[in-house]
Amino acid sequence: MLSSVPHTDTVIVADLEAGIGTLTRLPEQAVEHTLVIVEPTPRSIDVGKRAVQVATERAQGNITVVANKVADDEDNERVRSAFAEFKVVTVPTDPVVIKADRQGVSPVDIDAEAPAVAAIGKLVNLLG
Amino acid sequence: MRVAVVGKGGSGKTSVSGVLARSFARAGHNVVGLDCDTNPNLGLSLGVGDLETERLLSLRDQIDEGEQSHAHTWDDILQTYGTDAPDGVRLTVVNRIDNPEPD
Amino acid sequence: MIRIAFAGKGGSGKSSISGTFARLLARTDRPVLAVDSDPLPGMAYSLGIPVDDRPAPDDVVVEGPEGGPRWVLRPGLDAGGFIDQYAEAGPDGVRYLQFGNSWGHWSTLQRGQHAWSQVVKEMDPNAWNVVGDLPGGTRQAMFGWAKYADVLAIVAEPTPKSIQVAKRLRNITKADWSPDHVVVVANRVSGPEDVRRISDALERPVIGAVPDDPAVTAADKQAVAPLNGGAGPFVDAVAELVTQVESTYDLDIRSSD
Ligand SMILES: Nc1ncnc2c1ncn2[C@@H]1O[C@H](COP(=O)(O)OP(=O)(O)O)[C@@H](O)[C@H]1O
Ligand SMILES: Nc1ncnc2c1ncn2[C@@H]1O[C@H](COP(=O)(O)OP(=O)(O)O)[C@@H](O)[C@H]1O
Ligand SMILES: [Mg+2]
Ligand SMILES: [Mg+2]
Repeated sequence: MLSSVPHTDTVIVADLEAGIGTLTRLPEQAVEHTLVIVEPTPRSIDVGKRAVQVATERAQGNITVVANKVADDEDNERVRSAFAEFKVVTVPTDPVVIKADRQGVSPVDIDAEAPAVAAIGKLVNLLG
Repeated sequence: MRVAVVGKGGSGKTSVSGVLARSFARAGHNVVGLDCDTNPNLGLSLGVGDLETERLLSLRDQIDEGEQSHAHTWDDILQTYGTDAPDGVRLTVVNRIDNPEPD
Repeated sequence: MIRIAFAGKGGSGKSSISGTFARLLARTDRPVLAVDSDPLPGMAYSLGIPVDDRPAPDDVVVEGPEGGPRWVLRPGLDAGGFIDQYAEAGPDGVRYLQFGNSWGHWSTLQRGQHAWSQVVKEMDPNAWNVVGDLPGGTRQAMFGWAKYADVLAIVAEPTPKSIQVAKRLRNITKADWSPDHVVVVANRVSGPEDVRRISDALERPVIGAVPDDPAVTAADKQAVAPLNGGAGPFVDAVAELVTQVESTYDLDIRSSD
């Protein structure tokens, strides 16, 4: 479905199923950008690396790594060093995201200036 | 422009997707959120709420019930099987798995 | 003997809880077989086994006879032999079987599923307590991987996303192969009101409530299992879950079924 979308100026943000299954089944060049979300844990980084490899092999556009739930410099470094060849955007651990999730609302509607919201917002220009 | 969001379960794919879609929309872009998870919940992070997220029937269900996806244009699909989220984001859901398969 | 499988949204804590549960159950001197069918295996970490990506190889099965199951254990390999050969020995005497591997193809998991269902059917029913870790979401549970379980433990956090997945998982009771018991384990709760929120939404017995424990997240960053990483409240809560299960189900003799 994603690959059959007409090329318009519409921005399509596709939230895929966890893991790399969907990415493996996607036709080549189905997207212009792949965002790989990783937490600063070895298991999450490992999945991220696999996703990067599949996305590269299958030419799924530019790859950007999002280091999410980053609590400190050490967390940030853990992700950056694992993905040294890629652009890495850091999104901090943010109580607003946790609160939004518990309430079932968007973080944007709790606080559009929250640190995590602001960090994700920077992707607009980066992908732009 | 199409953006795929991937990662381990629980890494924050949906939170990032929802906030990113809203941010693009606030910057003036025309935005579609495409929920490809078999347990769709992007609606929550986009801000359409629990009930509307649940109500949004999966495209796959309805296509399986006889309608062919290629009989529709992309715009038709968004129209028929989508819902409006804040800031003008349009949300649609690809498929879901709710029930056990028979033996 | 109990066969319990943990399911829930991705990231809800299935691996952390199931691995810790398996080890604490094994510490009561019971034989425990831990079974990880997630294509992104997470149980090795929580058991404290330094392996990953070591699923049972494809050649454990051969094509089955016409009209039978698609794959059967290869000639000469029986259920006991399968466990002897492929279940990794871990801390506290737990044996660990891994079926998924995200590099492997979907067919690897399918072969694994056939191998495992035959092993479960043919193994000595009183040889093992089975503790399973299913992948996130509903896909695998609904497509037969949960058949071995007598108890499906749905791990749910106090969030609408997690509760939604948990609600769908309850539909497993519609299957003729449904686990007899479908129960809930609440995770990352910060108080009784979170537990109530989950039990009100799911209307299933909540057999355990695990608090948010920063030590678990911290240990995970270092690839250290909760039981090896100084997690306090988390481990206490899973220990209570073991006690709860011990008092509810007969763990020593398996009723024939
Ligand atoms: N930046 C962040 N700070 C704090 N918590 C976060 C952050 N991003 C995600 N989370 C939390 O992680 C959990 C999983 O997020 P979700 O977006 O549903 O992940 P996925 O779609 O990858 O399964 C949620 O409870 C959410 O609140
Ligand atoms: N009760 C808890 N308190 C704090 N962190 C937890 C708790 N349960 C799980 N976690 C953390 O949440 C993340 C996801 O847990 P994991 O067990 O891998 O989930 P799943 O197997 O359901 O995907 C891991 O980083 C883990 O350390
Ligand atoms: Mg998601
Ligand atoms: Mg897991």
